[in-house]
Amino acid sequence: MLIHTTKGLIERSELAVKDIIDEQENARVTATEWYLGDELVRRDVNVNILRGLSLGAEQESL
Amino acid sequence: MANTQAVCNSFKTELMNGIHAFGTTVARAGTTKDTFKAALFLASATLNKSTTAYSTSGEVSGTNYTAGGVTVTNANAPANASDVTYWTPSASFAWTTVTLSTAFDAVLIYNSTQGDKAVAVYTFGSQTVTAGNFTLTMPTNDQTTGLLRIS
Repeated sequence: MLIHTTKGLIERSELAVKDIIDEQENARVTATEWYLGDELVRRDVNVNILRGLSLGAEQESL
Repeated sequence: MANTQAVCNSFKTELMNGIHAFGTTVARAGTTKDTFKAALFLASATLNKSTTAYSTSGEVSGTNYTAGGVTVTNANAPANASDVTYWTPSASFAWTTVTLSTAFDAVLIYNSTQGDKAVAVYTFGSQTVTAGNFTLTMPTNDQTTGLLRIS
């Protein structure tokens, strides 16, 4: 399988892959880094938004 | 029986559907749904609750990224459950084979039909992308986690 990189298409077997998972307050971020030797040649990021935003309209006594 | 003061659930949903106009004039006449877009912004930008509209100032730039961002796929109508009206786009926001070398950490959702008016800013920690894909996966569309909620 060929992978698109900064060096063009490279065989998957020639690349080392590292997944980095980072937990944010409202998101889980997964970055996938592809290395050719020591050189970073591709970096994908997926941000999984865990929870959106709310407009509070809480009711209080008049 | 007793009366209970409340903001009506139907009203919350109708707000999201553009039914009510409290201003001195009716601001819109369209009967079709609006188009919303999602644009990425640099970590050095200053988007916040005071942002009123999309601007290219502070927006990311790079290979295969188009200014203005991507169109939000909107097949979900606003819904209400447990006194909360909620709405979430029906698909992830995706940028394919992009290079975004300067750190970015926010996405602005805005209404491109209504003068690019801002809707909400979401942050997710500083990121870069190199010759790869960037995807923002939406939360579950319900009253607890929906992307935009009125409670």
